[in-house]
Amino acid sequence: MMPTSTENQGINYGAILVISIAVGVDIFFSVLMAHWSYSWFPVQASSAAPYVDSLFSLETGIGTFIFLGCTGVMAWVILFNRAPKYDEVNGDPIEGNIKLEIVWTVIPLLLVLAIAAYSINVNNTLSTLGPKQKYRVGDNPAALVSMDPKSTVGPIEVIARQWSWEFVYPDGVRSSELHLPVDQRVNFRLISEDVLHSFYVPAFRLKQDIVPGSVISYSLTPTREGRYRLRDAMFSGAYFSQNQTDVIVESEKSFADWLDLSAKQPLQPGLDPSQPLYQRRLAKGDKGWATVPPSPPPLVNDPGNPSAPHEA
Amino acid sequence: MTTSNSEVTLKHTPGHIKHDGHNLTGFIIFLCSESIIFLAFFAAYIVLKLTSPEWLPEGVNGLSIRMPLINTVVLVSSSFVAYLAERYLHKRNLWGFRTVWLLTMAMGSYFVYGQYVEWSELAFGLNSGVFGGTFYLLTGFHGLHVITGIALMALMLFRSFLPGNYEKGEAGVISVSLFWHFVDVIWIILFVLIYIWQ
Amino acid sequence: MSISNYDARILKAPHPVPGAPDNWKRFFSFNTDAKVIGIQYIVTSLFFLLVGGLLAMVIRGELITPPADLVDPTVYNGLYTMHGTVMLFLFLFPILNGFNNLLIPTMIGAPDMAFPKLNAAAFWLVPVFAIVLMASFFVPGGPASSGWWSYPPMSLQNPLGRFFNGEMLWITAVALSGISSIFGAINFVTTIIRMRAPGMGFFRMPIFIWTAWAAQTIQLLGLPALTGGAIMLLFDLSFGTTFFRPEGGGDPVLFQHFFWFYSHPAVYVLILPIFGIFSELFPVYARKPLFGYKVVALASFGITVLSLIVWVHHMFYSGTPQWMRNVFMLTTMLIAVPTGIKVFAWIATLWRGKIRLTTPMLFCLGGLFNFIFAGITGVMLATVPIDVHVGNTYFVVAHFHYVIFNTIGFGVFAGIYHWFPKFTGRMYYEGLGKIHFVLTFIGATLNFLPLHWAGLLGMPRRVASYDPEFAIWNVIASLGAFILGVASIPFILNMISSWARGPKAPPNPWKAIGLEWLLPSPPPAENFEDDIPTVINGPYGYGLGKPLVDDEEFYIRRANEA
Ligand code: HEA
Ligand code: HEA
Ligand code: CUA
Ligand SMILES: [Cu+2]
Repeated sequence: MMPTSTENQGINYGAILVISIAVGVDIFFSVLMAHWSYSWFPVQASSAAPYVDSLFSLETGIGTFIFLGCTGVMAWVILFNRAPKYDEVNGDPIEGNIKLEIVWTVIPLLLVLAIAAYSINVNNTLSTLGPKQKYRVGDNPAALVSMDPKSTVGPIEVIARQWSWEFVYPDGVRSSELHLPVDQRVNFRLISEDVLHSFYVPAFRLKQDIVPGSVISYSLTPTREGRYRLRDAMFSGAYFSQNQTDVIVESEKSFADWLDLSAKQPLQPGLDPSQPLYQRRLAKGDKGWATVPPSPPPLVNDPGNPSAPHEA
Repeated sequence: MTTSNSEVTLKHTPGHIKHDGHNLTGFIIFLCSESIIFLAFFAAYIVLKLTSPEWLPEGVNGLSIRMPLINTVVLVSSSFVAYLAERYLHKRNLWGFRTVWLLTMAMGSYFVYGQYVEWSELAFGLNSGVFGGTFYLLTGFHGLHVITGIALMALMLFRSFLPGNYEKGEAGVISVSLFWHFVDVIWIILFVLIYIWQ
Repeated sequence: MSISNYDARILKAPHPVPGAPDNWKRFFSFNTDAKVIGIQYIVTSLFFLLVGGLLAMVIRGELITPPADLVDPTVYNGLYTMHGTVMLFLFLFPILNGFNNLLIPTMIGAPDMAFPKLNAAAFWLVPVFAIVLMASFFVPGGPASSGWWSYPPMSLQNPLGRFFNGEMLWITAVALSGISSIFGAINFVTTIIRMRAPGMGFFRMPIFIWTAWAAQTIQLLGLPALTGGAIMLLFDLSFGTTFFRPEGGGDPVLFQHFFWFYSHPAVYVLILPIFGIFSELFPVYARKPLFGYKVVALASFGITVLSLIVWVHHMFYSGTPQWMRNVFMLTTMLIAVPTGIKVFAWIATLWRGKIRLTTPMLFCLGGLFNFIFAGITGVMLATVPIDVHVGNTYFVVAHFHYVIFNTIGFGVFAGIYHWFPKFTGRMYYEGLGKIHFVLTFIGATLNFLPLHWAGLLGMPRRVASYDPEFAIWNVIASLGAFILGVASIPFILNMISSWARGPKAPPNPWKAIGLEWLLPSPPPAENFEDDIPTVINGPYGYGLGKPLVDDEEFYIRRANEA
């Protein structure tokens, strides 16, 4: 792909051989990287994850090919086209090559068009993001968006605050950790009571901002049982980094059992990860820069178990 | 290279264009850029009006159009008056220019006065939700431009009394009247958005 | 100064040797000579590179261990906000304006900028808003700490309820910075359009001029949108409006559109002049004409146009509807095409050249190497499904430091070394320069490469503490950052000692082609003064044997005698 065609002296078999070997080596490493890239991710725990990982792998492959191709030529040039010391001569005065320029315009164009087309396809297949509906602060947002007809569980209300999470199930159960049945499409209503937050589960490869004043319908399908991290991924102030909880994906039966059991629990203060830090700060004389105080802990049926180990 | 020493440059930079032209070029570039702020505000107005769950503040049913309409007529016609002044200047009829230029300023001032009267009669304020906010933001920001325009015109009027002021060209007056047309066009869009589209 | 027998040059310094003891004072005055202003910009912004770098060192110090132990989380938030703000508004934008000031007039053969006073005013706004921004460290409650995006409603929370708060000063500083940039942009564009030397048609302009023009066009079209957004944000914060507050009917996402409508194109304002620097330097140190000059020139405006229609790629997970995500994914990816044209053209320029690995060339090669990598991660981010996973994680942080430091930073250093002899009249020390390069390359790679993996695993950005599984990547990154801190020592040493007592520089130490190299080093106040050369050929005639200007010998002789 490099500007070797600038030579006009008939067919140069030596050059063709060198280039073929170089392209071969480049392809080899690109395929290797593409495979290797799968290991850079957390476990795949939702139906979105395989798509994301394979798209990433594809782009890693293409990217490696382009990167090695370009930097390979640069390395070659640095090694073999150096001017000796005190040599003042110029290089070949090549000013351009129309054919070559067309090639390196059209190929990237086709590549990105293909990637974009494929990604649009993936977006449509997953169709995670439902409508976003603004509401008047004070009104009940729940009534505003109807449930995604394709999903079988939910709508589960996800309430984000500075700095805690609360999940409300259709039957009224409230919890600090998100329990989901495996292999079922779940619908959420994302709501924030103060500032922007983002619902992000790396093992699901999914994230969606939560916008105060709007309710967002969001759907996903977990595909693997386990305990995964749910992180706030849109900066939300002082204790943003503490604003994490877990998602527990379990079999349909354990999920149902958990719902039943929780329904019988009394409401109690749930997870409130920033409170200890805030108390420590107050104890030290409220030093540091200004922050709003954390909102009071949500009252939930199941406060969860923050010390349980998560898989990803 | 300011305009004041353009002779010097003209001498030592052959083949390049008369210096006074820089000012007009620069000013036109500035106006293009400035128009984007208004575009941004217009966009905000349109988006908020179309999507906000609460638009008009309680107790407000809309805006009366009579007063602003008179204002619009005055401002729009002042653009033509400004053009007339420019013509006078071009024909070196200095007193003609000054008189008509002053008339433009008077019309501009009337607009500001009209705006003031309208503001003082409104039942809502800057803090009355997004409607109040965008209304005062747009009309206020535009009003600032009108006032700036009048001030610039006053400056040009003053300068017209300096001997030899127009020997290097009329870029100053041309720029200011360009600015005035700009303020005018902005107002027309604003008027349509705020008063017509209710 | 209006009568023609009065020589305007007398007002400016006599043939300046910047830094010479007799006239260093003019660097602290309202001087209207573009070369003085250029140096004022560059020195000021290098100082703020140190400030921003120091903040980065504290950030990396905090992140070397998982818990928030070095500073309070609130302090951490303020530090990274100020780091981003200082680096962008007080280091990068000003330093590139410094290059514009030094290079635009000299490269196009103009005696000065079109509006010298406006130019000086634009510069002097920099210390003004620098002071405003730095003052925010000392107001009660501390500086702005909602990130350099300042997204509402978080940025509007103002916990202490005071009128003068960090956020308010931050908005003021950013707005002043915008005014300064607009002054600059008007000046640069007017100068380029109207003050080129005779014979210098658009397609004889050096690529740096093309890229500066393309970049400043973005400033003119984009910045006012941010200014508009900032005004509304300030009103929300200080005067009780609710444009972006949901209580009162406002829309927080609207601000994001305003912000990114400018701040995305802004990244091309930053990279385009670096593309210009690459395009100037590769031909010089490969001794070859720039490959495909015309296409490279036009690709700059291709990037300008595209850059204005891609901003939503920063909002793929903000609740933007599906069609918007798809459209903006496509437009974003299209930028790879004009950019690729440039990259391939540079590589073709190197091909079979006579490569000279001077310090500026090393920084250019390193910068290009990093840029190809950064561009590819950019295309990954543009892919909606991937961005939905890695957005707002360290993958983004890694991507943009790869462009912003590992490419733009490298390009800036390359430019400084390359034009140092021209504008100071002194040679720098090659040995120190190479040490600087090696340390910077190693430090930058160690710092920002590992962060990609932290991001892929799901480590969010802007966190003061993190889960222990991310520790390994952060330890390596912090070590790299500290190496970068060390790398600044040879650089500072080199600059100060070379300027003070480096060997005298000839007018054209690199045997480069370009109007600026036909001037004495350093150039006199009005560059070519009364004899503007007439350009008769394109800018990169290496090995073509075509002189750049009419009567070239005259200019070479004159420059040598000065
Ligand atoms: C300063 C310079 C700069 C530059 C030049 C770029 C260049 C690009 N950036 Fe980057 N970007 C930033 C600075 C920059 N970026 C910053 C600061 C942020 C974060 C801001 C913040 O959140 O705080 C960011 C964030 C950012 C995001 C948002 C991520 C998120 O927040 O979720 C995205 C998403 O699309 C993106 C994409 C791109 C793309 C596609 C390019 C393209 O222009 C790259 C094009 C170049 C190439 C592709 C390489 C050369 C081309 C070839 C060799 C041809 C062949 C290639 C292919 C066919 C692939 N960038
Ligand atoms: C021009 C832009 C620029 C540059 C050059 C840099 C340079 C660096 N940045 Fe950058 N950074 C940003 C722009 C930039 N950054 C932006 C926009 C953000 C986003 C902010 C946000 O999210 O809102 C960010 C965020 C950011 C983060 C993420 C914070 C977070 O999300 O929590 C981190 C963490 O590692 C980081 C680290 C670094 C480091 C180690 C460097 C190094 O390259 C710095 C190297 C340092 C030097 C070269 C100077 C050395 C000086 C000294 C050691 C001091 C010596 C002192 C004296 C002599 C007085 N930066
Ligand atoms: Cu100065 Cu033209
Ligand atoms: Cu962008």
